Amino acid sequence: MPAHHAIVYLLTGAASGIVGAMLGIGGGVFLVPLLTLAFHVPIRAAVAASLVSVIATATASSTVNLDRGLVNMRLAMALEVATSLGGLGGGLAASLLSTQQLFLTFGGTLATMGVLMVMRSGRRNVIADMSVDPGRLGGYLEEGEDSYVYRLRRLPLALGASLVAGAVSGLLGLGGGIIKVPVLNTFCGIPIRVAAATSAFMIGVTAAASVFVYFARGDVVLPLASAVALGALAGSVAGVRIGQRVEARALKIGMAVVLLVVGGRMALEAL
Amino acid sequence: MTPAGADARRGGLERLEDTIEAGLTVGLGLSTVLLAAGLLFAYTPALLWGILLLMLTPVARVAVVTVGLAFERDWTFTLVSLFVLGVLASGIWVAVHR
Repeated sequence: MPAHHAIVYLLTGAASGIVGAMLGIGGGVFLVPLLTLAFHVPIRAAVAASLVSVIATATASSTVNLDRGLVNMRLAMALEVATSLGGLGGGLAASLLSTQQLFLTFGGTLATMGVLMVMRSGRRNVIADMSVDPGRLGGYLEEGEDSYVYRLRRLPLALGASLVAGAVSGLLGLGGGIIKVPVLNTFCGIPIRVAAATSAFMIGVTAAASVFVYFARGDVVLPLASAVALGALAGSVAGVRIGQRVEARALKIGMAVVLLVVGGRMALEAL
Repeated sequence: MTPAGADARRGGLERLEDTIEAGLTVGLGLSTVLLAAGLLFAYTPALLWGILLLMLTPVARVAVVTVGLAFERDWTFTLVSLFVLGVLASGIWVAVHR
């Protein structure tokens, strides 16, 4: 691979790592469209490179988020059951779908989630009364001087969304945070920062469920995946630190805009 | 659960989080060195091992969580974690036998 290609892929990985770590979505949502539409990388090689970079982003951002107590480990483990099953199924099914079907699934999923986030961006999920029991899958959150309690609502919905997120991840190389974060935040009572950190903790496992299948199929192009992953590693460490300084509502709106723009672009490409 | 029991469980979880954080940092550091060396010197074996190590880091993380929870005698979540480990192992098995 020429040196200038490696640098472009490194920078692309870094950009997707920054935004992906800020929002807990891994960055595949930006990487797959960029690699396929701007650099004409075949979609399966782009998905495989994205899965590797999602693992890099998840691992790097989790080292920071664990230190800050933002990851809800029990919730992550419970949802990983559904998301890893979905991830494995999606990875196996990827070869059965055409490129056009993959683009359309990708675009439709993102745009729908964007509309949902805009509709519910004003809601807050925290309880100021610290005597409230968070339950086994809820927890505590500190924001500056203030401490809050949050409780998980609608566990079956969270599990169902995680299964779908895993399948979409295996099919499209997304990591699945793009579905899990909005659903956990808008419907299941989890604050956006905890949803993003817990999702970032899970998406590495979701991606790992399918990445070995891509690797065995020869879809992991080593120089491409390595350059993108290295960039994502650096970008995600920066992204998770920036995300801490941004208002929760701004994070939600930013995510909704990204979902609508990228989803619409990909769906148009398929039509 | 009594408050003392809840505190003990939270303390155990925090120790486990520290172990996971250390494990993730080591896996990440090693794969970063291999990937950077592989790209700089166009050395494919370093790229291959760097990518493989990165791909295996989440699997190792789930294995560490499973063992840690078993030590904490949190059997419900040990089973949950074992199930996830089984799914990841199935993915590797399918890949190896293709």
